[in-house]
Amino acid sequence: MNASSFNQERIVLIATILIAVSASVFLSGFLNVPNLISIVRSISVLGILALGMAIVIIGRGIDLSMVAIMAMSVAWYLQMINDGYNDYLALMLVITGVIAIGALNGFLVAYADVPPIFVTLATGLFVFGYVRSQLIPSDAVAVPHGHWLELMGQFRLFNIPVDVFIFIALSFAAFIFLRFTKWGRYVYFAGDNPAAARNIGIPVRPMQVLRYVLAALISFIAGLLTAASLLSIQTRVINSNLLYDVILVTVIGGIGLSGGKGGVRNVLIGSALIGILLNVMTIADISLLSQNLIKSTILLAAIILDGVLNPRDEQTAQQGDI
Amino acid sequence: MNNIIEMDNVSKFYRKVPAIRNVDFNLRKGEIHALLGENGAGKSTLTKIMAGVVEANEGRMLYHGKQVSYASPHEALKAGIAMVFQETSLVPSMSVAQNLYLGSENFLNRLRGINISAQQFLQSLNFPVDPKAMVATLGAASRQMVEIARAVHHNAEVIIFDEPTASLTPEEKRHFFALLRRLQADGVSLIFISHALEEALEISDRITILRDGKHIMTGDTKDFDREKIVAAMVGRNLSEELYSKHAGKPARKAGKKVLSVNDISMGSAVRNTSFSVFTSQVTGIFGLIGSGRTETFKIVSGIYKRDFLRGGSVELEDKPIRYLTPAEAIRDGIVYVTEDRKGEGIFETMDIGENLFGGLLASGNNKGLVVRMKDVRKLASQWIGQLNIKTINDNARVVELSGGNQQKVVIGKGLTQNPRIIIFDEPTRGVDVGAIAEIHQLINDLADKGIAVVVISSYLPEILNLSDRILVCRQGRIVEEFSPDEATEEKIMYASVH
Repeated sequence: MNASSFNQERIVLIATILIAVSASVFLSGFLNVPNLISIVRSISVLGILALGMAIVIIGRGIDLSMVAIMAMSVAWYLQMINDGYNDYLALMLVITGVIAIGALNGFLVAYADVPPIFVTLATGLFVFGYVRSQLIPSDAVAVPHGHWLELMGQFRLFNIPVDVFIFIALSFAAFIFLRFTKWGRYVYFAGDNPAAARNIGIPVRPMQVLRYVLAALISFIAGLLTAASLLSIQTRVINSNLLYDVILVTVIGGIGLSGGKGGVRNVLIGSALIGILLNVMTIADISLLSQNLIKSTILLAAIILDGVLNPRDEQTAQQGDI
Repeated sequence: MNNIIEMDNVSKFYRKVPAIRNVDFNLRKGEIHALLGENGAGKSTLTKIMAGVVEANEGRMLYHGKQVSYASPHEALKAGIAMVFQETSLVPSMSVAQNLYLGSENFLNRLRGINISAQQFLQSLNFPVDPKAMVATLGAASRQMVEIARAVHHNAEVIIFDEPTASLTPEEKRHFFALLRRLQADGVSLIFISHALEEALEISDRITILRDGKHIMTGDTKDFDREKIVAAMVGRNLSEELYSKHAGKPARKAGKKVLSVNDISMGSAVRNTSFSVFTSQVTGIFGLIGSGRTETFKIVSGIYKRDFLRGGSVELEDKPIRYLTPAEAIRDGIVYVTEDRKGEGIFETMDIGENLFGGLLASGNNKGLVVRMKDVRKLASQWIGQLNIKTINDNARVVELSGGNQQKVVIGKGLTQNPRIIIFDEPTRGVDVGAIAEIHQLINDLADKGIAVVVISSYLPEILNLSDRILVCRQGRIVEEFSPDEATEEKIMYASVH
């Protein structure tokens, strides 16, 4: 690919490095091992969700139900354990439910041709409403004492929490999937030009279902990690900024909402920027309200700078006859 | 002082690649000036500079003797220069009247008032278009009329037509030419970009030819003939070999019958059509736009589904088939090469290799589930060589290629799928003369290799030159079959309109 050498991805990478370097110079608490670990840890759940979102967005979709699936699946799982279900049975039930919701998303988008933004908005609300009203009695569900999630949350290797390893492993798996597998390549073809993809014989619709199922499963993993580190799952997270942050991380690294562009590298760059930024702002004691302002400014700046440096001229917008 | 526009030493670069270089051009008042050249010769760029769509990097432009430079099409339009685009620039979800007044609305608009004045205006131009109709429901010719009406409505002194006749039937074309004459009589100066040389010779007063972004020649139309234009366009003389009828070669004998279609229907687009396709020969399908030829073959290749009840039957080597997706057709060896390159042919963000590899991957001919970049590169260099795709490097993105080379990529993508039946829908639309010859050669080679080839085209010389059998499509069905010996342009045209 010989697109412009100075694209959004590079811009964000440079901004990240600039912020990191100036923070190391000016903020005393920034450049030390515990803080760096806490940066990666703080970003790992967000980053994992962004991996799932990236797979869907590259395929020209969007999944707004991820946060709901993340919180409610784990809440239901923990509730069943607290109610005395067999752990294995409960896990199987939840995974089945998660796959079913992902498949429902995919089915409605692919076969019923409903725009993904409506489908996933509705299923997200449905999942939240159904689980909260029918299956769990309170907003938060605690991890039972001695459960494997608690042990996992306490696990450390070289003082690094397990979230980080899982983030790295999932990033690697997503990278292999998108870059080297047949089904992963199909994501790009379908995202770039769905009609052409169908014409050359790519099973566009089944692959769409697969992507939403993957996103749902990734959400479930992110939920398990959240529960492991906090020892409970708070379902009110659905009303938080988390979903917007996931989209922010995905888009800021250079994955276009029009589909077909970007990859795991873009998610990692976006995660790095947001992780470092949040950490720096917390150390510098900037209020939560101003933090949102700064985040939005950076997203806007990246998009505008990309637009200025890589103008969509006639040549890129409407190819063919010069 | 009868030059209304003068372009002086104009150059335009896209990312440092010159689209046109040091071009001089002038347009006289009240003339029809044909602008000819291969794809990528710079015709569109030159006219887009005049119409303010893009800005020149070097050189100057004089309009009415004054130096001007337009930053937007709106400014150019206000000054009196209008451009009618190749891909129409109307808003599909608005009515004809609203489109006519687009950009010149008052602050407050009354729909009824607009409709009435649009009606009067269209009638004064003698255009049979309903001002209240949604543009999305109009055919190509009517859309063209609305575009032209819009340009006239803005009191344009100069109107630029970019490939105006590409989607018109012969009948509509006659109306269109009559309109051009009327505009000319009213003192409007017209620039006419076209691939069809006969049209340029018929309608224009003067001709300018561009090649590779440079000005080659300008002269009165009466001093030109087909040979001279083609020679100037391609820099060599190949018109004869291109469209001499079959180059004296006898028609190929039909091989095995691979495909037989009986009585298939799909809504009102395809009605009870029946025909067969044989191996080792080229079956040419001629039909005007809207005759259902594309739909018929999209049914065969699984892109569309025929009617469930009384939909007829399709047999592939005596095995009845009913495909739900193109993937099944491709597994059976039926490959459709689309007429709509941009919409459903190429993957714009990807390079040549990835485009080609998509075909291979989807056909299941790639072994295993793992995609190696090495294989993609190898495939790219193999097909770039085989199809003579002209590119700066093997990793160039398809959007950076010219129309002809994009078409080669789309064809290559189909060929990686090992077709037994390959259907080319308008294989040379928007393709330059040099590449047309190569694509024709490729089609002939495929038939010689024993593949069943179908070529759909609305360009008669192409059908006559390529086909071993000619089927004519009209109103959703195949109505007549000719052998190449008995077929003439008149007979085919007669069958397709009566």
